[in-house]
Amino acid sequence: MPTLVRKTLREYRRAVIGWSAGISAFLLLYLSIYPSIRANPEFSQQAALSKYPGALRDLMGGLADIASGEGYLQAVAYQLLVPLLLIMSAAILGNRAIAGPEENGTLELTLTLPIDRKRLVLERWQALFLGLLVIAVVTLAVILAMAAKSDMRVPAGHIVAAHTGLFLVALFFGTVALTVGAATGGKGLALAVAGGYAVAGYVIETLGKSVDAIAWLRWLSPFHYYLDGRPVFLGWPVGDYLVLLGATAVLLLTAVLAFERRDVGV
Amino acid sequence: MTAVVETEGLTKFYGTRKGLEDLTLDIQPGEVFGYLGPNGAGKTTTIRLLLDVIRPTSGRATVLGADTRDSSVRARIGYLPGELALEGRERARDYLTFMADVRGGVSRARIDELAERLDADLSIRMGELSKGNKQKVGLIQAFMHEPELLILDEPTSGLDPLVQQEFLAMLREVRTSGRTVLMSSHVLAEVEHVADRVGIVRAGRLVAVEDVAALRERAVRHVEFHFDAPVPKEAFEGLPGVRDLVVDGASLRCTIDGRPDALIKAAAKFTVVHMVSAEPDLEEIFLTYYSEEDAHHAHAGA
Repeated sequence: MPTLVRKTLREYRRAVIGWSAGISAFLLLYLSIYPSIRANPEFSQQAALSKYPGALRDLMGGLADIASGEGYLQAVAYQLLVPLLLIMSAAILGNRAIAGPEENGTLELTLTLPIDRKRLVLERWQALFLGLLVIAVVTLAVILAMAAKSDMRVPAGHIVAAHTGLFLVALFFGTVALTVGAATGGKGLALAVAGGYAVAGYVIETLGKSVDAIAWLRWLSPFHYYLDGRPVFLGWPVGDYLVLLGATAVLLLTAVLAFERRDVGV
Repeated sequence: MTAVVETEGLTKFYGTRKGLEDLTLDIQPGEVFGYLGPNGAGKTTTIRLLLDVIRPTSGRATVLGADTRDSSVRARIGYLPGELALEGRERARDYLTFMADVRGGVSRARIDELAERLDADLSIRMGELSKGNKQKVGLIQAFMHEPELLILDEPTSGLDPLVQQEFLAMLREVRTSGRTVLMSSHVLAEVEHVADRVGIVRAGRLVAVEDVAALRERAVRHVEFHFDAPVPKEAFEGLPGVRDLVVDGASLRCTIDGRPDALIKAAAKFTVVHMVSAEPDLEEIFLTYYSEEDAHHAHAGA
């Protein structure tokens, strides 16, 4: 592993452990109550629907079939909160790739090492990828274990497919933060763009299903390529995932080109 | 012999603000070059351009024979930033090991040796280092791989006098081994003992490049002689370079511009019991450049 990737991972270690533990705790808590949901399917369904009326229900992904293993897993693990948490962690890590060190001044010395700008961006991104992968694998293990324990009857393949999508969406937004940071050096700006895009993208994808005026915008939302294929229910939406990967690659290329051209730390 | 640092018309504007204008400068192998100027004059801009942290608006620069864009050449450079930022939970030793690995490896013994010389504790987390200790870690990373070119931006800021002595000793060793140093400072006194040449930069322009030996020759020196008997004032009047002559019985005080030769020979006719010669004050000469520039600007303005 390249030296800079190793060093960056060392910097990320505490954050990666923290986010893995936090998201896992959240999942453990919510997935452990599934047996009681399944025991009272009609009551749970009613409770869920009355708690989230109208558009709120769309934001929660519809909440259909909450008592089934797929429905519950979708609502609790793959719909709103866990993706948001993972995206948050990705944006924070992505921000620490370039903009963070640039603002606190430590990037200057790194730049004067025999590492060219392209390699610096790519190796920082590799560390982001690996750090996120660790969080994703840990949380996937928790979900697989809990699904088996609570007898959710969701094929493991579907869970892996959904989790891969989750990882790809988070990686995309982490790359957004990295790219804005690489292009501008602004930490606050990078977080704002990644966060704003994530929230807007999520709202457009979920509400766009029933609001025609914004429906056409859905293709701009990264969540479209994660949620629309319903991987928990249907398995791998390969084409959609390739779109996410492609968009991430384009962003990364932009980051490299922008960072190669500009002054650092001015 | 090819220059270690070579710039031609190097210019940097930050938007409309001038950082550096039309810098043409050669630094030869084995030379210690003092780069002087007040804060904001363009010293750090020059250094950042040489290290490709920022890009020139126009002009060009080569370092160790390669374009500044060539990152591989940076393994042969040691750099101490003026505003050294070391952050995070990483321990100083781990950070130094990382820097060393990227540059192609430095033995642990070498790092330990430097840490001992500078009395630096490498087990402290970077974010918790005191200012003085940060500067020590900065110096260690700059010196540890024995680079062919050392670029030091205000290296002595934050160092206590003992460490400063050690640093100057390290610098002399670098010079003895024939390696090249570019060192910036806003105080001439800091560089005059180690530098071969000094460049004076002001408001983004290089206003003078001087040989330190030549500068010293032109420097003003305060001298005192004490004789065993009163001496006649006439014996010392009209000597070349002697000014402000005061003869008071058996003692003599004056200032000398340039060589003290004539004065010494005149004094040798009497019995000298004691002599005091203050270090030449290069600062004074240095400041005359500034005041000349000021006068020039004032003149141009009028």
